[in-house]
Amino acid sequence: MHSLITPTKFAVLALCGLLAISLGLYKSAESAEQMSAKTQNEPLVTDCYESREGYTTVTRVEGAVPQYGYPNIKCSQKTGAVLWYGDPYEGTVPMGEMPEITDATRGNYANAVVKPREPRLMYFNMGPDGCKTCHDGKTVPAPKNKKPRELAMHQDIVENSMQLMHGRGSLWCLDCHSATDRNKLENRQGVQIGFNQPQRLCGTCHGELYIDWRAGIHGKRTGDWAANGKKRWWVCTECHNPHTVQVNRFNPIKQEAPPALPRGMKNADHERMPHGEH
Amino acid sequence: MSEEKKELITTEDAIEGRREFLKNVCLTGATALVAGPASVSAAVEAASADADTTVAEFFQGHFVLMSDVEKEKAIERLEKRYTAKYEKKTTVSNVPAPEDTLFGYALDISKCIGCRRCVHACVDENNQSRNDPEVQWIQVMKIPKGNFAFSADKLEKGYPETSQFGDYGVQVGGNAHTRVGGIGTEEAQSHFDDLVTPDNDHFYVPVQCQQCEKPPCVKACPVRATFRDSAGVVLIDYNWCIGCRMCQLACPYQARRFNWGEPNLPKEEMNPHTHYFGNRPRMRGVMEKCTFCAQRTREGRNPACLEACPVGARKFGNLLDPESEVRKILATKRVFRFKEEFGTYPKFFYYVG
Repeated sequence: MHSLITPTKFAVLALCGLLAISLGLYKSAESAEQMSAKTQNEPLVTDCYESREGYTTVTRVEGAVPQYGYPNIKCSQKTGAVLWYGDPYEGTVPMGEMPEITDATRGNYANAVVKPREPRLMYFNMGPDGCKTCHDGKTVPAPKNKKPRELAMHQDIVENSMQLMHGRGSLWCLDCHSATDRNKLENRQGVQIGFNQPQRLCGTCHGELYIDWRAGIHGKRTGDWAANGKKRWWVCTECHNPHTVQVNRFNPIKQEAPPALPRGMKNADHERMPHGEH
Repeated sequence: MSEEKKELITTEDAIEGRREFLKNVCLTGATALVAGPASVSAAVEAASADADTTVAEFFQGHFVLMSDVEKEKAIERLEKRYTAKYEKKTTVSNVPAPEDTLFGYALDISKCIGCRRCVHACVDENNQSRNDPEVQWIQVMKIPKGNFAFSADKLEKGYPETSQFGDYGVQVGGNAHTRVGGIGTEEAQSHFDDLVTPDNDHFYVPVQCQQCEKPPCVKACPVRATFRDSAGVVLIDYNWCIGCRMCQLACPYQARRFNWGEPNLPKEEMNPHTHYFGNRPRMRGVMEKCTFCAQRTREGRNPACLEACPVGARKFGNLLDPESEVRKILATKRVFRFKEEFGTYPKFFYYVG
């Protein structure tokens, strides 16, 4: 065998081999450089939102699931949204009593847990007594009736209180918020409901959606897939903003990155070409 | 009974013996070819556990047909290799599919906003190659809702046009050829990149493996590396796959992905909770696709794409359980299957909620 390979051929082969090795080394070094630069420039996003930006923020905790060394969540570097859950039940409490309804929704809430809404509300957490820190009847006097009037405060929630569009103008703040106890919501029968259970208020008008929600068809549920398994139920205000819901059922959010283009393709204009009449 | 068992064991031993022999022959042959006779002993000494594992893996059989002992060995090999490679304790589970279960998925296209969180949640969970090649199991299509306007001018201008010989053929109104919306894939975009989502003139339709009851990919696979498990999920034995890509050609949903290069999976992003048929790291030259997160759903948890969806458009459950969310949707909503006319009977349902 050896006698067949002339010295020149051998030299060429050796050179080729060297070239290939050096190319490989160069490429790997380059990619390593790129990777490290990438990680250095972009600090890890650790505060991200679940569904509603600003109202459902979660903080990433390393090693929250020691079994696999998982963090509790993984955030999107591009949009700051929660992408992945290490533990779907983190920070949840049992849902508690649900009002009995005599229909065939067969809602199974024995193993239902929810994430409390009250710790996520900005104004609720401004003082030790929640909203009552200001709305104590003295600092801000209690309203005399439910008639719509111009508000001097809370424009960040409702821009113009005279044009609140929930119910296309037929509802006003005090139809849902209790006039006497601002830490509570209040339904039309005057029953006070906590912010943690908005479904009990929303459901009094949106019955169809409430029935679907109880059955597990409407809204998000995470946890076990089994019908009788432990599930986290997502309540109304975790996805919908009740003050602007007439404009957007779900507020527009940023998108995650599109998939990479096939090698050699410069843009995705071929997808946007008009295809004419069919 | 006992005789049969005995025979089985002896055959297995024989196979094992033959494998050992082949392995040894190949190992020595390979080292001799590469290094030459002088350095054979050195090479054998330096041959790490990793290389040994790779060779053993190369000669392992189809996982479904393995005996329990062989399965244990195979999993041990993989765990050892992954733990060394990704520098963290990795478990490769072999949990069987739950009994009396047929997994089904339902997706609400009236809720989907096209934010692609499911796509990236899937990548985080399932150890896909991150870039070059970028592998994603879910593709989100953005489809125009269509032009619902009819034109009065076209009412009399149908086909065929009146000819010099008179009016022949069946006249159809000119509006018959105007798109009036509906779900069609002709004008679908997959690489859309808008500032915010949703765009109200479009539907968003995420497509992933539809877990067909009559999967064309399983029919196409020449080595039966891909198969339907007892819970109705189509899975792949990555070690048995020969990378011929026949299944990719057969799939009408473009759900299968091929590892064109060595997968690029950073150590810190690797998910150490894996399943043999699920998200264990793949190698170059094998097919992969959505497994309904085998490592999660076989242990009772929902798939990662469902947990990531911010609008609750995704529902997963047992189609045999009338109390499950998926069955309630099938009973009460308007449901369709994607590319129904192919007769693949997907267990992935789209609905309008």
